[in-house]
Amino acid sequence: MRPGKPIWRSLDEHEGDAAFMARVAEEFPGLARVLAEGPDRRQVLKLMGAGLALGLGGCDPGDPKGQIIPGIKAPPGIVPGVENEYATASVLDGYATGIRVRHQDGRPMQVVGNPDHPASLGAADPIAQARILSLYDPDRSHGATKRNQPAGWDAFLAAFEQRRAGIAARKGEGLNILTGTVTSPTLGAQLARLQQLYPQMRWHQWQAINRDVVRQGAMLAYGRPVEAVYHLDRADVILAIDSDLLSAAPGHLRHARDFAGRRNPVAGSMSRLYAVESTPDLTGILADHRIVAGPREIHEILTALAAAILRHGALEPNTPAWIAPAIADLEAHAGGALIHIGPDQPAEYHALVHALNEALGGRGKTFDLIEPVEANPIDQAASLRTLIADMAGGRVQDLLILGENPAFTAPAAFAEALKQVPFSVSLGLEPDETAELATWHLPEAHPLEAWSDARAHDGTVTILQPQVLPLFGGHSAHEILALLAGDGAPDGYKIVRETWSKLDDAAWHRSLASGVIAGTAGKPSDGRLLQIGGPTLPAPTDRPITLLLRPDPYLWDGRFANSAWLQELPRPLTKLVWDNPLLIAPALATQLGVGNGDLVKLSAGGKVLTVPVWVQPGQAPDCVTAYRGFGRRQIGAVGKNAGFDFLPLGDGPLSIEKASGVYALATTEHHNPLDAAPEGVVRHGTAVAFAANPKFLQSPDPQASLYPPQPTGDTAWGMSIDLNACIGCNACVTACQAENNVPVVGKDEVLREREMHWLRIDRYYEGPAEAPRVLLQPMLCMHCEEAPCEVVCPVGATMHDAEGLNVMVYNRCVGTRFCSNNCPYKVRRFNYFAFARDEVRSIQSRNQEVSVRARGVMEKCSFCLQRIAAARIDADKEDRAIRDGEVVTACQAACPTQAISFGNIRDRASAVAKRKASPLAYALLDEINTKPRVTYEGRIRNANPAIAEDSV
Amino acid sequence: MTMEAIAPEVTAAGMTDDIAGIALGRRLKWWLPCFVVALGGLGLLGAAIGWLFYAGVGIWGIDWPVAWGLAIINYVWWIGIASGGTFISAFFFLMRVEWRTALNRIAESMTLFAAACAGIFPILHLGRPWFFYWLFPYPNTMGLWPQFRSPLLWDFFAILAYVVSSVLFWYLGLLPDLASLRDRATSRRQQIAYGALAMGFRGTASQWKHHRAAYGVMAAIMAPLVVSVHSIVGLDFAGAQTTGWHSTQFPPFFVFGAVLSGFASVLFLAIPLRRLLRLEPYITEHHLDVLGKLMLTASLCVAYAYLMDAFSVFYGAHPAEVTMFIERAFGLYAPVYWATILFNILAPQLLWSHRLRLNQPLVMAISLAVIVGMWLERYEIVVTSLHRTNLPSAWGVYHATFWDWATLTGTIALFFAGFLLFVRLLPVLSMFEMRELIGKRRRQP
Repeated sequence: MRPGKPIWRSLDEHEGDAAFMARVAEEFPGLARVLAEGPDRRQVLKLMGAGLALGLGGCDPGDPKGQIIPGIKAPPGIVPGVENEYATASVLDGYATGIRVRHQDGRPMQVVGNPDHPASLGAADPIAQARILSLYDPDRSHGATKRNQPAGWDAFLAAFEQRRAGIAARKGEGLNILTGTVTSPTLGAQLARLQQLYPQMRWHQWQAINRDVVRQGAMLAYGRPVEAVYHLDRADVILAIDSDLLSAAPGHLRHARDFAGRRNPVAGSMSRLYAVESTPDLTGILADHRIVAGPREIHEILTALAAAILRHGALEPNTPAWIAPAIADLEAHAGGALIHIGPDQPAEYHALVHALNEALGGRGKTFDLIEPVEANPIDQAASLRTLIADMAGGRVQDLLILGENPAFTAPAAFAEALKQVPFSVSLGLEPDETAELATWHLPEAHPLEAWSDARAHDGTVTILQPQVLPLFGGHSAHEILALLAGDGAPDGYKIVRETWSKLDDAAWHRSLASGVIAGTAGKPSDGRLLQIGGPTLPAPTDRPITLLLRPDPYLWDGRFANSAWLQELPRPLTKLVWDNPLLIAPALATQLGVGNGDLVKLSAGGKVLTVPVWVQPGQAPDCVTAYRGFGRRQIGAVGKNAGFDFLPLGDGPLSIEKASGVYALATTEHHNPLDAAPEGVVRHGTAVAFAANPKFLQSPDPQASLYPPQPTGDTAWGMSIDLNACIGCNACVTACQAENNVPVVGKDEVLREREMHWLRIDRYYEGPAEAPRVLLQPMLCMHCEEAPCEVVCPVGATMHDAEGLNVMVYNRCVGTRFCSNNCPYKVRRFNYFAFARDEVRSIQSRNQEVSVRARGVMEKCSFCLQRIAAARIDADKEDRAIRDGEVVTACQAACPTQAISFGNIRDRASAVAKRKASPLAYALLDEINTKPRVTYEGRIRNANPAIAEDSV
Repeated sequence: MTMEAIAPEVTAAGMTDDIAGIALGRRLKWWLPCFVVALGGLGLLGAAIGWLFYAGVGIWGIDWPVAWGLAIINYVWWIGIASGGTFISAFFFLMRVEWRTALNRIAESMTLFAAACAGIFPILHLGRPWFFYWLFPYPNTMGLWPQFRSPLLWDFFAILAYVVSSVLFWYLGLLPDLASLRDRATSRRQQIAYGALAMGFRGTASQWKHHRAAYGVMAAIMAPLVVSVHSIVGLDFAGAQTTGWHSTQFPPFFVFGAVLSGFASVLFLAIPLRRLLRLEPYITEHHLDVLGKLMLTASLCVAYAYLMDAFSVFYGAHPAEVTMFIERAFGLYAPVYWATILFNILAPQLLWSHRLRLNQPLVMAISLAVIVGMWLERYEIVVTSLHRTNLPSAWGVYHATFWDWATLTGTIALFFAGFLLFVRLLPVLSMFEMRELIGKRRRQP
C-alpha cells in the first residue's frame, strides 16, 4: 500500500537525464523547452501551474495543446457544485454493462449504473465501479516506451510508419493482431477493413476468461454460435449447474434483478432454484436446494436429466434421491423451467442443456436465442495456439496486442514466443508483463477516456464516450488500428461516429445521453436443434482431485489487480482480501491435516507450487478451487505481492501434500465461521412455514420502553433490506466506499482487524460444514432510535438529528472508541492510523461532498447524508417536501436486486414504509430495544416438499 | 512475638531521628541501582508515548471489534491499586485505628504515584489525545458542552477530583513532617527545599488546630471519593449495553476489586521496605496481620462478585451473554479467567491461617498474585467481553503489541521512580502522628 516508486524532489535532479527529458517533451512540451534552456524557476512553476489546471479541467472541450493558461471563469457547462452524469459502458471481456459517470465540477468522480441499459437497469457491479479508481491510478502507463525505456509517441509513430511500409509491401504477411473478445461494431469494422487492406494479416482473439465452451456448446446444439438470453423473471423452476448466472455471466446484473423479483413470497409467487456446484458461488448461496457435486456427480446428474427428460426413461437405481423430485418439478413447470450450466463445463454438457431446455419448452419464455453478439465469434483457444505456433516458428513479423496481457494470462509458451517477434506492440493501461516483453508499449486510453462502442449480452449497443481527456496521453485501440490503416491523424470520435453514420445528430445525441442505441438488441434466432436427443457426453474425469481455476470475482483475470478497492473487497464466501489461497473442502483438509493458512505443495505437470489453503465449507471434496488474477509479476504498487499465480500448474493431474509453514491470510471475518451461528440474527424459514403463518419470523411483542419515542417530525429516514434478494455481490460495499471516501487499509491492517468498510455483508453458515446453508446479511449503521453509541460519547460527537439519523461529527470526535464498543451491530470504524492520508490515490477521485476522516476519528454509515442534503436543497428550492425515491443511498443505487429500500418511514405511502410493513420484516437484536431504523425482511427458502431436508 | 502496633522500646525522639535521618541522607546502598533501573523504564515510557503521539493508537493491538485494550486495562488496574492508600489513610483515620499511623504515608504515596500512572492512560488512549480537554466543561465560543450522559465524562471528573484530592491529602499530611525536616536539615540546600515545602508550618497551636481540622475534613472527603471513583470506573463498563459489561453489580464489584489490589500493593511494598529501611519497630507483625486479614476480606468480597457475575449471566439467560461467558470460561482467553480465580480468590484463602499471615515471603507472593490477578481480571472484562459481542459476524480477537507492553512497563517504572524518590527525600512514616501515638501509649501503658 505504500508508494513503491522512487521519489524525486526537484526537476533539477533529472536535468540531463535524456530519458526523463524525452518524457517531459512528450507530456509537457513547454516545460521541456524551459528545462532545456536552463533553470528559470518562475517560468517552470508557471508552466507546472498551467499543467495542473489543465489536468483538473480535463473535461474542458478545448484543445489542450492550444491553451496553457488557467481560466478564471469556469468552462462552459460546468457550474460549481452542480453535478452531472454521462452515460457510457463498462466492458468486460467484450460484453458491455451500461454505466453512468458522475461528474463533480467537471471531473469524473463515481461510476453508477445506467437504468436505461438492459444489462444494468441502474445497478453497477464492483468492477465497473472501481474503474474510476483505475482511471486515476498513478501507476498507469505515462508514455510510450521502447524496450522499457521512455521513447515518446513521435518516435513510435516514426518506427510504426516504417513497419507499415513493410507490412503493406508484404500485403500483411507476418502481421498479427491480438485482441480480446470483440463485440464493438467499430472495432469489428476496422479489423474487417484492415483485412481487406492487408489480406495476409491475421486477427487473433483470445482472453483468459473466455466463453469458448459456451460457443462450442451452441455450435454442437444448433450448428451456429447463437447466444442465449435468459429471462429469470419468467422462470418458475431453475436448475443451475456450476452456474455463473448471477455472478459473472454477461448480463449477470440483469439476471440478478430478474431472479430477485421472484424471491420474496410477500411480493408474489416464488421461483425455486436448484444449484449444483463444485465450489460455492453466489448462485448456490441463493439456492433453495444446493447440491455439492464434483465432476463425476455433475456427469451423473446430466445423464439422469437426459434419460428422464429427453428419453423419458427410468433413472438409474442409485441416482441421488433429490434428482427425481427435481426433474418432476422441472417437468411440471414446462415452459417455466430453465437449466443453466456454467462456462467451466465441457461443450457437450452445454449442448445437452440446450436440448433439455428445448424439451422443457423454455424457448421464447425463460430464454431466447439470439444471433452472436461478438463481431467475429471464433474458437479463442485455437486462435491462441495458432498465434503461439506462428510466433515460435518465426512467421510473425509484427504483432499488435490490444488491451490484453497474455504474457501473464496465457500459458508461459506465449511469453517465450513473444521474445522472437521482431516488432511487437502492447497497448495497455499499465506497464504489465506483456508490456515488459514487447518491443513497444503504448499507454492505452482508459475506457473512460476514449470513444468506442460495445454490445451488451442481448446485443444492445452502447457508445462509450470519453469522460475526460486522456490523463496520461493514452490512445485507444481504434486509433492504433486507424494508424495501421494509414490514417495519419486518427480521431476516436470520427471513427466511432462513422460506424454509426446512419444515426442522425439527434439520434446520436439521444443515444449518447441514454447510453443505448435504440433498436440494436439482438433479434431472436430461428436456429433449430441439430439433435433433439442431445449429444453423447464425454466420460467424466477420473482424477482424484480436480483443480478448478476460476476468475477472481473482482480481479478477474488479473487486469484489475492494481485496484485497491477490488483487492480489499471481501470475497463473498471466504471474506478473504488481498490473497487467493487454494480453497479445499473440509474433508480434504482433515485428510491432509491442514487448516486455514497452512501451506501445501501442489504438483502438476512437473511444476510445484507452495500455497496456503483455505477451508471452504460446501466445497466438493474432490475439487480444489483457485482464483486467477493474483500473483501478478509486473504491476503497480497496489497489486504487488498479492496472492499466487496458479496458471503455471496447467490442467494436468494434480497432487497435494502438506508442506510446513503457515501463511498469513487476511480476511474480514476474524473468527471461525462455523462457530458463529446465525440464529435470530438472519431470520429465515421455509415457504411452508410462511404459508402457515406469514409473521412467523417476527418477535411476539415490541418491548416497552421508559424513554419517550424519538423525534416525531415529518421525516424519519429508514431502510429495509430484503434478505431474499441479497445475492452477496458486494456492489453496495464498493458503492459505499466510492461515495463516502472510505479508505482502503491494506492487508496488514486487515490482519489486525481494522478494515474500514462502512457496509459489510455478513455471511453465516448453517448446518454441516460439508454442505452448509449460506445466509447473507448486509450490515451497516442501523441508525437506532435509542442508539447505544450516543449516550456513551463524552464529547457528543455522535448525535441524533431531527430526522432520526445517527450522525457522526468527525471534528468533535476525540477517539475514545466507546461508541464502537457499545454498538451491538459493530458497524463503527475507527481510523487507527491516518488511513485516508496514506492511500495512494489521486485527490480528484474522491467525492468532494464527503469529508475525508483524519487519524483518531470514528466513522460509520451516514445513510448518505450528503445525498439527503442535496435532495433537501432541491426540495426547499421548490418549496415542497422531499419526494419518495428522491433520496437514493449509494448502496441502494448499486444493488442489482433492489434489496435495499430507503426513504421516509413516516410517509405511509413510501416504498420503504411498505417494505417495513411486510410480515417478514424484523429488527435485528430487537430484544435489546435499540429500535433500529434499518430492518430486514427474513429469508424464505422455497424448498421442494418432496425432497427431504437431509437428502441434499 | 510482638503483636503491638508499635514496638515498646520506641521513643518519640528516637523514632523522629530514625525516620528524618532517612530523608536527610542516610546511606541506602540499594537505592541508586533501583532508581537507575526505574529511570531506564521511564525512558521506555517516553519512547512509547512519543511514538504513540507521532504514529497514532494504531501502534497498539486494539482493533475492530476490541477497541479498548491494554490502555484501559492498565488504567483500571492502576486506579484500583491507588485505592489501597486512600482506604487505609482516610477510612482508618476516621475510625481512629492505631495501626494506620505507621502505614499511611507509604500507602498514600503509593496512591499518589499509582493515580499518576492511571491518570495518563485515559489521555494516551484517545484517538486524538491533543483534544483531551474537550471532556472538560469549559466555556467556549462554540457553546458546546460535553455530553453529560456519558460515564466517561463522569470518569474524567472522578479521576480529576480523586487525583487532586489525593495530592492535597498527602501533602497536608506531610506538612508537619516537612517542617521537622526543615528544622533538622543541616545543609543549606535541604533547609531551603524543605523550608519552602513546609510552607511556614511552625507548629503553633493555631496551626495544629487548623491542620487537624483540615486533615479531618480531607479524610471525610477522601473516604467517599475512593468509593465513587471506582464506582464510576465500574459504570464506564456497566453503563454500556455490551455483553459482559452490562451489569448492575459493577460499581461495588469494582470497589471490591480496587480495594483488594490496593491492600495487596501496600503489603507488597511495606514488607520489603520494612526490612530495607529497618522499620520493623514501627511496622510490626501486627500490621502485616491486619493487612492480611483485610486482603482476605476483600478477596471474599471479590469472590462474591465473581459468583454473582456468573449467576446473573445465567439468570438473565440472554443468549449473547451466555455465549460470551462460556467463551470467557472455556474459550481462547480461558487461561485468563481461571488465573483470575486462582490469583484473586484461591491464593488469598491461605491467609485464614495466622501463621501464614506472618510468613512474609508467602504474603508477598500472595500479594503479587493478587496484583497480577487483578490486572488479568480487567483484561478479562475488557477483552473477552468485546471479542464476543451480540453479532457473531463481529467476533474477533485481540493481541497486545510490543508498544502496549512497553507502555505498561513504562508506567510501572514511573511508579517506582516516583516511589523511590519519595523514600529518598521524604519521611516514610508520618512522624508527627507516630509521636502522638507514642505519647498516647506512654500515658496509657
